[in-house]
Amino acid sequence: MMIQTSAVTKHVETTAGRLTILHAIDLAIKAGESVAIVGASGSGKSTLLSLLAGLDTASSGQVLIENENLGDLDEEQRAKVRADKVGFIFQSFLLIPSLTALENVMLPAELAGRSDAEAQARELLEKVGLSERLDHYPNQLSGGEQQRVAIARAFIGKPKILFADEPTGNLDSTTGATVEALLFAMNQDYGTTLVMVTHDNTLAQKCDRVLVMNAGELKEQRADVA
Amino acid sequence: MWHKISWRLLRHELRRGELTIMAAAVALSVCAVLSLSLFSERLQAGLLERSAEFLAADRVLRSRDEIDTQWLERAQDEGLQWARRTTFNSMAFAAEQLALVDIKAVSPGYPLRGQLEVAQTPFVDGEPTDALPQSGEAWVASQLFQRLELNIGDSLEIGNSEFVVTQVLTHEPDSGLNVFTDSPNVLIAYADLEGTGLIQPGSRVNFNYLFAGSPGDIARYEAWLLPQLDDVTQRWRGITDDETPLASSLRRAEQFMLLASLLGVVLAATAVAVAAQRYCQRNYDAVAIMKTLGGARGQIQRIFTLHLLLLTAFSIAIGVLLGYSLQAAVIFYVQTQLGQSLPSAGAGPYALAIGTGLLCALMFSLYPLLRLIKVPPLRVLQRDLGDSAVRVWLQWLIGGGTIYALMVLYSSSWILSLALFVGGSVAVLILLGISRLFIRASRQAGMQAGSSWRLAMAGMQRRAKQNSVQMISFATALMLLLLVLALRNELLADWQSQLPDDAPNYFVVNVAQDQVQPLEQMFERENLVATDLYPIVPGRLMAINDELVRDAVTKEERDESQFREGFGRELQLTWRDSLPPNNILRRGQWFDSAQHPNGEVSVESQVAERLGLSLGDELRFLVGGNEFTVPITSIRDVDWNTMQPNFFMIFDPASLQTSGATYIASFYLPTERKNELYSLFRDFPQASLVDVDTIIAQLREVIGQVSLAITFVLVLVVLAGGLVLVAQVQATMEEREKELVILRTLGAKGSLLSRAVSYEFIILGALAGLIAAIAMELSVYLLQTQVFSMQPSIHWRFWLLGPGLGALVVGSLGRLTCARMLKQNTSQLIRQLS
Repeated sequence: MMIQTSAVTKHVETTAGRLTILHAIDLAIKAGESVAIVGASGSGKSTLLSLLAGLDTASSGQVLIENENLGDLDEEQRAKVRADKVGFIFQSFLLIPSLTALENVMLPAELAGRSDAEAQARELLEKVGLSERLDHYPNQLSGGEQQRVAIARAFIGKPKILFADEPTGNLDSTTGATVEALLFAMNQDYGTTLVMVTHDNTLAQKCDRVLVMNAGELKEQRADVA
Repeated sequence: MWHKISWRLLRHELRRGELTIMAAAVALSVCAVLSLSLFSERLQAGLLERSAEFLAADRVLRSRDEIDTQWLERAQDEGLQWARRTTFNSMAFAAEQLALVDIKAVSPGYPLRGQLEVAQTPFVDGEPTDALPQSGEAWVASQLFQRLELNIGDSLEIGNSEFVVTQVLTHEPDSGLNVFTDSPNVLIAYADLEGTGLIQPGSRVNFNYLFAGSPGDIARYEAWLLPQLDDVTQRWRGITDDETPLASSLRRAEQFMLLASLLGVVLAATAVAVAAQRYCQRNYDAVAIMKTLGGARGQIQRIFTLHLLLLTAFSIAIGVLLGYSLQAAVIFYVQTQLGQSLPSAGAGPYALAIGTGLLCALMFSLYPLLRLIKVPPLRVLQRDLGDSAVRVWLQWLIGGGTIYALMVLYSSSWILSLALFVGGSVAVLILLGISRLFIRASRQAGMQAGSSWRLAMAGMQRRAKQNSVQMISFATALMLLLLVLALRNELLADWQSQLPDDAPNYFVVNVAQDQVQPLEQMFERENLVATDLYPIVPGRLMAINDELVRDAVTKEERDESQFREGFGRELQLTWRDSLPPNNILRRGQWFDSAQHPNGEVSVESQVAERLGLSLGDELRFLVGGNEFTVPITSIRDVDWNTMQPNFFMIFDPASLQTSGATYIASFYLPTERKNELYSLFRDFPQASLVDVDTIIAQLREVIGQVSLAITFVLVLVVLAGGLVLVAQVQATMEEREKELVILRTLGAKGSLLSRAVSYEFIILGALAGLIAAIAMELSVYLLQTQVFSMQPSIHWRFWLLGPGLGALVVGSLGRLTCARMLKQNTSQLIRQLS
């Protein structure tokens, strides 16, 4: 199993008392599978994503990536897991504004100490159709182009898992469709496990499985369409 | 790999102007400190070099007896140059006429500092010379030519020896400003001294030994010599402990420069702090992204530390370059103006400037950097994370501690540092309180105001926390600006006003009583500005409240028991009906013969302090063989920088008036009338003239250089202040952009928004200005009372100028910085924000 959770709970302390965001979530995602998590705002989708990616820790329960319990790891070790196995795509792209498209893509490979970062990044940017835009800064690119850079960046580490948080949420429908197609094609090419949080039902339906998050509880919408 | 990322971030951010403020702040701090300290050090070295000329040496040992030659050998061993200068009074004869003269016998090498000037005609400007009188020769001052009707080549008889007059002595570097040495000088060779037979046991002779050398050599010699000196008969003098007007001017100059340097440092540090905070905040996302992408904490720490170090190094390099050029330009200007070259400085200023830059950049970035490194990766999903103000006290401690440490390090004066630090801290505290009060008040006021004002106040309220911080910085910048203005205007003007253009440049002394009226008539006839003529009677202070002072007893007695501190010399006493101009009555009342029919005396305040005198004390004087006792009825402050006759002791006419007095006055003679001097005083052959033009020129030079330095600092303060403002406005730019988008979307007119932005900055500036005025007043009060020993005063115009200047500067700078944002259309802004 690529990702597995058992009884994952997350609560936060607020002035009004303890607030439980996730209620004992059990989940299993196989390698190569694509899973969409849908749900209303505030239902806990992004919190679940942050726990699965090791960006945050659960209040109780376990999150396992390739049978490694993230709860047993400290922040540094979780960062290492992300460096080795995980790629990200965000709604707001999250490119570093002072680095060019090429350098943004190179960044994860460089942080991992790989020497072929530049060649890999060029190749990926060519793949996403931005070979003419290597030296452009994020603010010189359109939204769709920025998201394509983010996709290239997500794949440079040849991740086993790709987490996508509303990948087309900030794009118009045409650009969104292009980015969507690119994302699934790349995912296919690299054989990555895809976990995507989205509002967009059409986009969700393109995944192998759709999970519905409702008030911190997760339900399967459809068992298998492959 | 990580260093590549650091380098890349730095390169791009520099190119894109994201680090401009931060780099400029560090560069400015380095530039300010370097240029100022280089300038200050070179100027001080120049001034000291010039001032040493007043002693004709770096140090002088004055002794009543000849000193052990071993002391001179030791000086030579320490690498010092030395020369002898022996002075005494004697009668000189020429063609049946005689006059009392000051004989100065000097050994080869004299003067060790400065130059003699000689001429072939009396009362003209002389030419510098390195020569000295040969054996059998005498060089004679102009006044003696006048008094003895001498000509070059005439012979002059002193004691058992006869000398040939070969030069007119027009300038001696060590002539000093003791106007009571009314006898003209005669310079002879030291080798001729013995032949005159005038040095006998018991004769009143001053043996002076001049020393010159490097500060290190002098310090070593002093450490060896000083413990061996007899504090009654021997005195060791350097230029800075000399009680001449020049020495006190020098001390003041030094304090001004010190203060100037401190202001530069504090302001630059403020700019660095603001810019560093913003720099780190801008990188929160980058850190979160790197962590999300698998960057380890240590790796990210290294990336940003190196980034900061590279930025600091780059900024320091720019600062050093700018600072050096600026200083070189100012020095070039000063040298051209003064026609004098200034010695070059050592490595000290460079070390200080680089140290300051490093301290500023690193210490003020430390806290934001710590927060930056701690930004959690989760920020990529929860955007508000990473901005929690944890351990704010740490930030204040680091920032405040660094500023204070820099101040002390730089000034070596904790009092001066404390005055500024306390002023600043008070400003911060009051400002925090007032800004909170205002923000609360604006909730009500805003509801009634027009829409632009309402928006402005709402804006201020929304950014309450940032605005408080912003106001503190605005206020600090303004306070320093006002402080420099106040110091420049109040202290310097006060000081310089004491030396007007027509400050007296000659003293006339030794005027007989029957010549007083003719002399006054001559001054009036010739249209010369002169002081009153003051009578002078030599006398000695014998006892205070019947307790004998040391100089009233014999040497043997002195050794046996403790006596009260006296003057150690004869005093020049005067009498007068009214308080002299430029004297301020500190305590007591001016003479009232009805109350004190048996006489009274007024004492100068510093003397009163030194001798422990207070009102009502009875002083016993010995004047012309008579002893008499008078009470102290007033204590006066005397401004020794004025070129007028000044006295420690002034008596009421009843107690002192005698027929044996001579008179003294000072007057101003324009340079172009200098050649009239001889004819003007032809009818007063007994009177002597003392030319103080050179001394005034020196004083003016010091004041001029200090003025220039202060102006220079003012420019730096304005620059640094502007930088702080821009950094501050930029720090709130993103939030403003967000607001603007919302308001535009809701249909707010451009002009309304533009006015709202202007009003917000105007209110902010005016408030900051008010606070700055209060804080400035406090700082100036502390400086006036604790450092400069001046009377405290309130500067009302700054209470108007502060808020006005604040509103104007902050309003326009804020408006300018926001101009680009206001011009952008809504879609551009939305895109930028996303």
